Amino acid sequence: MMRRLIWRILPYAPALLILFVWWVYWTIKQPPPSVIPAITDVIKTGFELAGGRLGTDFLASMSRLLGGAAFGMITGVIAGFIAGLYRPIATFFNPLVVFFNAISGIVWLPLVIGWLGIGNALAIFLIWNTVFFIVFQNTVLGVQLVPEVLELGVRSLGGSRWETIRSVTLPGALPYILAGFRSGLGFGWRALIAAELVGATTGLGQLIFSGSEYHRADIIIFGALLIGGIAMLMDRWLLVPIERRTVQRWGLVAPDRRR
Amino acid sequence: MSADKIVVSGFRHYFQSESGPVQATGVIDVTIREGEVVTLVGPSGCGKTTLLKAIAGFINPSEGQILCDGHQVRGPGRERGVVFQELAILPWRTVRRNIAHGLEIARVPKPERDRTVDRLIGLMGLVGFEDRYPHELSGGMRQRVAVARTWAADPAVILMDEPFAAVDAMTRLTLQEELGRLCATTHKTVFFITHSVEEAVFLGDRVLVMTKRPGTIKAVLDVPRHGKGGRDWDSFTGDPEMRAISEQVMHLVHAERV
Repeated sequence: MMRRLIWRILPYAPALLILFVWWVYWTIKQPPPSVIPAITDVIKTGFELAGGRLGTDFLASMSRLLGGAAFGMITGVIAGFIAGLYRPIATFFNPLVVFFNAISGIVWLPLVIGWLGIGNALAIFLIWNTVFFIVFQNTVLGVQLVPEVLELGVRSLGGSRWETIRSVTLPGALPYILAGFRSGLGFGWRALIAAELVGATTGLGQLIFSGSEYHRADIIIFGALLIGGIAMLMDRWLLVPIERRTVQRWGLVAPDRRR
Repeated sequence: MSADKIVVSGFRHYFQSESGPVQATGVIDVTIREGEVVTLVGPSGCGKTTLLKAIAGFINPSEGQILCDGHQVRGPGRERGVVFQELAILPWRTVRRNIAHGLEIARVPKPERDRTVDRLIGLMGLVGFEDRYPHELSGGMRQRVAVARTWAADPAVILMDEPFAAVDAMTRLTLQEELGRLCATTHKTVFFITHSVEEAVFLGDRVLVMTKRPGTIKAVLDVPRHGKGGRDWDSFTGDPEMRAISEQVMHLVHAERV
């Protein structure tokens, strides 16, 4: 009973700890608000923004993130499957993947502004550019690590090539694919905000940018808290439940919160 | 005399390695007749798994040919079911869905599929575990599922590659008896590979003995089955004829120590 309660509280503990330290520090030192604002000021700013531009910015960012991430995940999984199943294709594309993966999306930003202009397409492209490579590389690894004996077993049950892909390779690679989704989504947020700082007129990136122009630390910190908070919620309520119902249920990865 | 089910003639296999081809087997000729259980015993590395893989269609023989029902084997197929040594059932399917997989692939209607699966779950002592996933089962249970899965698909020939090597000795005795009973009641054609002499004699209607690498068939021994004779360990160990055959096979295998 007590153990269960501790496990429930544990994930929220670090956030509470940081808020506590922040509050203590601010109360003792009373720094100028442009360096570190009070928690109460940040909350107040949050409410003000919620009554103003926040809704538009939030929706703009979320639609870009989900659009770009979905695009990156789908293309990453498909390309990863093809490369994972056919060695020659993997060997052909591997240098290219290493090459482009090393180049941060920001490098392309000035060029892409010229190609796509400022707005959604630009942000979606930069998110795709981040998510694709992470998901691709994870998928290739996952596909290649599925034990061959599982495929042979299904083949000798009369399964076609397609049947083995559907019933063996796809679920077998899922732990790696989901790990790719989780880290891809995290890096997707980074790409989104980077894109919005210069390449958009709305969005949470623009909100933070406006905060920095007027030295409004409260807006910047509120924006950061919001981004981190949404990312945490999405991970916890979207991706973790998928893992729990699939790869954990199947015993492919150790279950969380049980020892 | 029953029809020839599997005919291996002039089979020989090489593997490619960095330093050129490595001979995996000598020239092998084997005939497996319909409804018989043929066991193959040989030292490790003699090429017995290579032979089984070739019959299964997982590798192309370097020399010779393999016929199943008169047709040349060109790849895996549902008429040749395989039970592997390692865990080959799918971790993401429950016991029931693993056993039903071959029938799903063959598009057998659900009511008929359920009947077959239920029958095998009963035969293999898996009642109560239908909705478990493999990681929730013991090693012996998992191999039961693997055997049931292959039987459910109703192949003409069942190839087994040391299926009980990885389970504990106690469980192995039970699984061997269950398999013996399953073979006797379903009249399947079975080709069973092992490195255990007792297992080979206990299960086989005929026992093939292989030489060490590159392996060839060194001897073929008939194991007479008088009625239910020797399909359980009590009657097997008490039967002097069985003991004599086991000793004979033991001598043959012993000479092939690596």
